[in-house]
Amino acid sequence: MMIGRAAYVSVTALAGVCAAFVFATAVVAEDQTTDIGTLDKETADKAFPAKPPYSPYAGRNFPTRPYFGDTHTHTAYSMDAGAFGARLGPKDAYRFAKGEEVIASSGQRAKLSRPLDFMVVADHSDGMGFFPQLIGGDAGLLATPQGRKWYDEINSGKGAQAALDIITSFGKGQMPKGFPTPGTSAYRSAWRETIKAAEEANDPGRFTAFIGYEWTSNAGGNNLHRNIIWRDNGAKAGLVEPYTTLPPLGSSNPRDLWKWMAMVEEKTGAEILALAHNGNLSNGRMFPIIESFNGKRIDREYAENRTRWEPLYEVTQMKGDGETHPFLSPNDEFANYERWDKGNLDLTEVKKPEMLEFEYVRSALKNGLKMEAELGLNPYKFGLVGSTDTHTGLSAVEEDNFFGKTSSSEPSAGRATHPFVKTDKAVIMGWETTAAGYAAVWAAENTREAIFDAMKRRETYATTGPRMVVRFFGGWDFEAADANNRMPARVGYTKGVPMGGDLNAAPNGKSPSFLIAALKDPIGANLDRIQVIKGWLGKDGQTQERIYDVAVSGGRTIDADGRSKTSVGSTVDVANATWTNTIGAGEMITVWKDPEFDPALRAFYYVRVIEIPTPRWTAYDAKYFAVKMPAEVRMTTTERAYTSPIWYTP
Amino acid sequence: MIVRLLREPLLQFLALGAVLFALYGFAGKRGVEVPEKIVVSASQAASLGDGFVRTWRRPPNEQELQSLIEDYIRDEILYREGRAAGLDRDDVIIRRRVRQKMEFLADEMSTPEPSDAQLAAYLASNTERFRAEDRLTFRQVFLSITRRADTIESDSKQLAGILARADGAVDATALGDAFLLGEEFRDVSPSKVTSIFGEGVAKQLSGTETGRWQGPFASGFGQHFIFVSERVPGGLPPLDVIRPAVQREWANARRMEAGQKLYASLRGRYEIVIEPPQDKAAKAASR
Repeated sequence: MMIGRAAYVSVTALAGVCAAFVFATAVVAEDQTTDIGTLDKETADKAFPAKPPYSPYAGRNFPTRPYFGDTHTHTAYSMDAGAFGARLGPKDAYRFAKGEEVIASSGQRAKLSRPLDFMVVADHSDGMGFFPQLIGGDAGLLATPQGRKWYDEINSGKGAQAALDIITSFGKGQMPKGFPTPGTSAYRSAWRETIKAAEEANDPGRFTAFIGYEWTSNAGGNNLHRNIIWRDNGAKAGLVEPYTTLPPLGSSNPRDLWKWMAMVEEKTGAEILALAHNGNLSNGRMFPIIESFNGKRIDREYAENRTRWEPLYEVTQMKGDGETHPFLSPNDEFANYERWDKGNLDLTEVKKPEMLEFEYVRSALKNGLKMEAELGLNPYKFGLVGSTDTHTGLSAVEEDNFFGKTSSSEPSAGRATHPFVKTDKAVIMGWETTAAGYAAVWAAENTREAIFDAMKRRETYATTGPRMVVRFFGGWDFEAADANNRMPARVGYTKGVPMGGDLNAAPNGKSPSFLIAALKDPIGANLDRIQVIKGWLGKDGQTQERIYDVAVSGGRTIDADGRSKTSVGSTVDVANATWTNTIGAGEMITVWKDPEFDPALRAFYYVRVIEIPTPRWTAYDAKYFAVKMPAEVRMTTTERAYTSPIWYTP
Repeated sequence: MIVRLLREPLLQFLALGAVLFALYGFAGKRGVEVPEKIVVSASQAASLGDGFVRTWRRPPNEQELQSLIEDYIRDEILYREGRAAGLDRDDVIIRRRVRQKMEFLADEMSTPEPSDAQLAAYLASNTERFRAEDRLTFRQVFLSITRRADTIESDSKQLAGILARADGAVDATALGDAFLLGEEFRDVSPSKVTSIFGEGVAKQLSGTETGRWQGPFASGFGQHFIFVSERVPGGLPPLDVIRPAVQREWANARRMEAGQKLYASLRGRYEIVIEPPQDKAAKAASR
């Protein structure tokens, strides 16, 4: 369904209506049968039986615009970032996010096209401040052969080598004695500095700086990382020190993290949440059915804790996209997007196809339905955000303004063709890093409390970088005319639930209907299409998925099977790294009803918005540095947004 | 070749011998003078003990502390002698480390607590950076390029004619197309306008007068006619209100400035000669 079907005001009607208001002659309007104003009034009357208040602003406490941010920025305080050459600390990271120009670690000037609305500096809790300590020549660290080796490597310009060795040693649990742990003064001062930087940068109403850190569980090189975010200020966050993974103080089992989170809330009265990322590098362990730590089936206690503490998942970021994989979704032509599927995080173990089901969002959402049927609770009921995972302190992921994953991969002629990780098992090249993503949050105001609360209720979506606006409401009574309403949000909140919400108790004979809208990034590319991804648990106990195109641009049609098989085309000029908005649509809005709804079956629905093709960061690099990229390097991208699902539970 | 030579035990032995000989000779020359003093203060000993605790998670016993002190003395003697013999020169690791220390030092020195006068002066000379943005309250009539691909120009002209005679009371909801983020915007700053409509609209809007329909302003979405009903000028807030922000930026500026100043003053002490690369030099000479 394309918005082109909406009834417009013809110019005569427009003039007539206007005259009616301007000159108060009150003659013409009644006769205008095609008038969108009349249509709207009727729709509005249905939606709001009571007379609305005189002030159009009254009662408007729902979120009116999304806030864009990054929940995942590393600075020099993260041991690996420091080793890779990052010299910018949390203060610089927040200044950059607010739109100030900073000098990147590589000495280049860097600035965002537009400021972000919020950010979390999430440095690794293990070894927080390790790098300043190591580079400061701490005697205890240098007394160990490893510490000495890294110190010498870093100081002789082999920081990248040291960084990889640090990550690998950490993954194997082989860190040297003297490694900073909670309770030591080096550690405490790093945490205090982190809090201080957030407190200084936080500016309620204008910019939100959250206090947080990353818990980097990496047992055997398998990524189970989670970021922790505080709703509260430094007075509460400063009462504890971050939870680490190295025993005896820490653990790499998420169950222990959840215990720690419960302890923090109980002891300090703070509110915190966790969000995981990079299941694609977990080798089958991010969304398990069989827990990797004890070999047992996920039980109710696990499900309770995971849903309590982890309302969100970071689906897209620099280390690849995690929505789904072509092996899992063979009929999804957009599934093969920024794929990182060679192995685990440090490439010490190669990927096997049977691992994929437990790594990607769509299959996890499906398995969640199955597990809910068994446990009475869905452990994988999470909303979606994107974030960067930058290790440069610079949350810069626009394709034409990409500052890389690490400071050694800040813009340079050779960064695309240098290996990012290389082991005897596999290689990931620099060009494979993804310029993504950001978190969009529908909060009523730009404060820690409002954004945190919106995250808790999963009213969020992920983008791979562009700041498109996406609305998604589900209910039982949306009808085609709602797509023409002047205030889609008001209809949406009145008649349904927003993204992240729940539908149940299906009225007799009714199928769920959805009000869905998207607006392109004001300075970005047009939109190709809006899709609804549905997953459900069949009568036979098997999970299913299906993709529906619900709005397509450029007058294309949607077939009876719910798909539009015509591609939007491409205007990308790779050599010049340009494109034009001559294809696609700037905005789309539609109402979609599930044509195959069975009220007895559990289901979820989420929206995927696809942009028209644009040059990938590698094309901008090739142009700027006048280098020729190898044939296998992808030079175009189709940016996208993924909303949190709406679940239906019988 | 050189690498292999360097690995030869005999050569290593000879090299070490040469260094020791040099050191010995150096020490010998000084033998008649008053011996240098090495003082291990109580706080020095305590800090050695602390270092031990960090590594081993227990305090050292008496014997261990003695050997830590002995080791410290050995450290100090060899360090002084090595430095006297010039072994610290041309060592990349030492150079980098010393450079870092100097830079850290500059950082540290640059951030004392500023006085009100300093902040006021900084604020006065950076008014643009701290100026609070204007706040606009406005309504729009939107013509969508997506919906009106072919007719937007003519529709826009018609609408301009109508709105020229209209005032703020005109019901904007009866005109134009719906915009996903609404048609009424209250108390928004130009930077918010930029984030919603793009820079073009924000720029054009900044100069317009209130109480009259303006436009059309083009954006990536189409065309916007805008009626600004209220503009609250931003202006410069008093220091009290924005003190934390001013202090943060002042400290940052001081940090950069101090680093530059320190370097400039140090650099001024040197006469720097950069010789051209050898092949070029050779060419120049042969000419």
